[in-house]
Amino acid sequence: MLRFLARRFLLLIPVVLGVATLTFVLMHMAPGDPARTYLGDRATPAALAALRHQWGLDQPLWRQYLTFMGGLAVGNLGQSMFFHHSILTLLAIRLPPTLWLMGMATLFSIVISVPLATWMAVSRGGIVDAGVRSFNSIAQGTPLFFTGAVLIAIFSLHFRWFPVAGYGNDLSQHIASLVLPSISIALAIVPFLVRGLRGALMDALSSEYVSFAKAKGLGRRSIWINYALKNAAITGISILGIQVGYLAGGTLVVENVFAIPGMGTFLMSGILNRDFPVVQASALVFALLVIFVYLLTDIAYGLCDPRVRVK
Amino acid sequence: MRASPIGLCLIGLATAAAVSVSPLAVSGARAQETPQQGGDLVMVRAEQLRTLLPSAPTDNASIWVIEEAFDTLLLPKADGSGVGPDLATSWSQSADGLSWTFHLRHGVTFTNGQPLTSKDVKFSIEQTQKPSSPFSFIDASIAKITTPDAYTVVIQTKQPFAPLPSDMAIFANSIVPYSYAGMTPDAFAKHPIGSGAFMLKSWTPGVEVSFVRNPHYWRQGRPYLNSITFKEVADSNTRANEVQGGQAQIDEFPAYSSILALQNSGGAVKVGIYPSSRVDFLSINNTHKPFDNADVRRAIASSIDKKTLVKVVLFGHGTPAGAYMSPSSWSFDKSITGYPYDLKAAKAYLAKSPVPNGFSSTITVYSGNSDQQTTAQILQASLAKIGIKITIQTLDPSAAYDAQQNGNYDMSFSYDTTDIVDPDEIIRFVGSYDGGSHSLYSFYKNKQIDTWIDQAATQNDQAARTTLYKKVQQQWDKDQPDVPLYYTPEIYAYGGNVHGFHPFVTGNYDLADVWLSK
Repeated sequence: MLRFLARRFLLLIPVVLGVATLTFVLMHMAPGDPARTYLGDRATPAALAALRHQWGLDQPLWRQYLTFMGGLAVGNLGQSMFFHHSILTLLAIRLPPTLWLMGMATLFSIVISVPLATWMAVSRGGIVDAGVRSFNSIAQGTPLFFTGAVLIAIFSLHFRWFPVAGYGNDLSQHIASLVLPSISIALAIVPFLVRGLRGALMDALSSEYVSFAKAKGLGRRSIWINYALKNAAITGISILGIQVGYLAGGTLVVENVFAIPGMGTFLMSGILNRDFPVVQASALVFALLVIFVYLLTDIAYGLCDPRVRVK
Repeated sequence: MRASPIGLCLIGLATAAAVSVSPLAVSGARAQETPQQGGDLVMVRAEQLRTLLPSAPTDNASIWVIEEAFDTLLLPKADGSGVGPDLATSWSQSADGLSWTFHLRHGVTFTNGQPLTSKDVKFSIEQTQKPSSPFSFIDASIAKITTPDAYTVVIQTKQPFAPLPSDMAIFANSIVPYSYAGMTPDAFAKHPIGSGAFMLKSWTPGVEVSFVRNPHYWRQGRPYLNSITFKEVADSNTRANEVQGGQAQIDEFPAYSSILALQNSGGAVKVGIYPSSRVDFLSINNTHKPFDNADVRRAIASSIDKKTLVKVVLFGHGTPAGAYMSPSSWSFDKSITGYPYDLKAAKAYLAKSPVPNGFSSTITVYSGNSDQQTTAQILQASLAKIGIKITIQTLDPSAAYDAQQNGNYDMSFSYDTTDIVDPDEIIRFVGSYDGGSHSLYSFYKNKQIDTWIDQAATQNDQAARTTLYKKVQQQWDKDQPDVPLYYTPEIYAYGGNVHGFHPFVTGNYDLADVWLSK
């Protein structure tokens, strides 16, 4: 296990180098001068030059690149050009909401998908099947901001069960604020998960080992939990892992609609402001998040499926 | 016919009832209008606060917040007609016109307990004069600042300069403690010390900033509110939802398309429409052929149906523009109507130009701005009718801004708002090549206009200045380097329990006067 983790961590290095270099190149290729954006129309050439010097933008590109990479090596991500705060301080503010959002969305996805998939597998066609399939199509076809807006209109404005937007000031407020956004995201993941789980469950239920278990006289509950669900979980974990991986970079729309100060909006405003340190740090964080999610998926996979562990 | 006794009786009773009820009703209404102390106000806005150092920012999001924590020598009058006392109780110009003397109010302290004196004023203005400050141009006329005593400041100007009092009301000339109370500018930007109605409590960059009332504020009894919080919420629907849901009390700039719905929301949310100095333009790059020809520009101006734009883009919240100054300015020439929408006239202008059969061109639009997209599409359709084929190019705001600054565009959209209540800033910004934006990105150069503008700044008599400013606007209108589109108001949505909210023409809020009812 340790060797497996160690290998994974070593693989991080080329990924970090690649992402850092790519973001650096792309940001500097884009037109738009951050100093001009910051200082506005009436900035004197002297003021612009002073600010560019302060931000290190007057250095040759290769030197800016080396400065950045050097800083990265010692964990110094620099300062945001626009906010004059260290990137690490800003990440400490923006990363937790995104992590909470991803975690709660994953939880809701599982909580919604497993019963639905089980119900479909047990009913084997008929009205339940048609009903859940329609629900899946609607959930998949509805844009995230619309789902979010509808949930806000019903549960925040009408019933007043949840705050309309924002993130709150303490843990209970954080969680209350993230319920509706997490459900919005979960509804985008649920169709994939339900389809996969249903297929896997039906395969499991019609397999030989389940027939044997029934013949042995095992109870229904025991068969479901120890045989059907455990085997279907393997497929479920793969699908969930990929979806959550997309999620790492995809929370932007939900963060925008629900005014959650997360990584998505942090990256977006960094790009619009041409705040290079912010963009570079955010891209790295996203890359690391995705890798971490895949790592967790592989570990969970190994936990569920002993056949994989033997390798 | 004789009036019946019963009828007379009833009339008498009714009159007596009316007379006795009305004082109660009036005093009842007055009781509701008495400001109540306390309450926490939350304002949601789209833009992010960047800095709390007065001499640093150019963005309204930072400027309007800074004005809550700091004071200036003078304050603009809410309707934009001039300036009134704030930290300075009186001011006067010398006989030769070359200096202005300001007498400071006694008893004002900063939030760290230090008294505010002329030393602090001199230091503050000098920070803004530094070339690294983006608003140094506003103090360009100042030659020297002297402080004969602790409560007197004398500002000497290079030439007689009438706009100086208005310049002393601008946020960039906010008064900070001498030497930033021992802090570096960077540290001061995060832990500001001002003399304003509110003081900083906490700032989470990119998320929200919170202020609490300044208990030592020199205006007795103000502010009413206990705290004000500015939250950054990019999505306009979310902002509207927050006000409707009671999570926020003021929504800055709701989308035009949502205003009718907000107004009809049954009293829970009110919509305030306030006079603004904003004027929107179609910017035309006069250095790109064929836009260097005035008839081409006149043809374009005559193809724009401004009334329809106001209806479709602004949902009626605006007026078609003529002169390039805003109606909120005393220099506004209301006799200028611009070029009326007339496709026949447009074709006639084009026929006189070097490109009588039309030409192809691009219009650059800021991405994410649906108002600009809609306007561009309307223009595209109109201009096609006179033979001008337009492609719409969408760039992200930073790239689009860059293009405008460097003249890498054909046509685009722009606007201006004034930071001072004197016409001097905007008359230059739009009309003069060296006014800060190359004549609002048109790169138009007119020496006669520049001369009139400089002349007007040296004169004190408002009537004489108005005559010159009108000449400027009329000449500019003839040449049409850009096309003024419309004048728009400032629009805010706020909860029914918010009272006393009155943003100025210059945009600042002055939340010291705002109070919340239960």
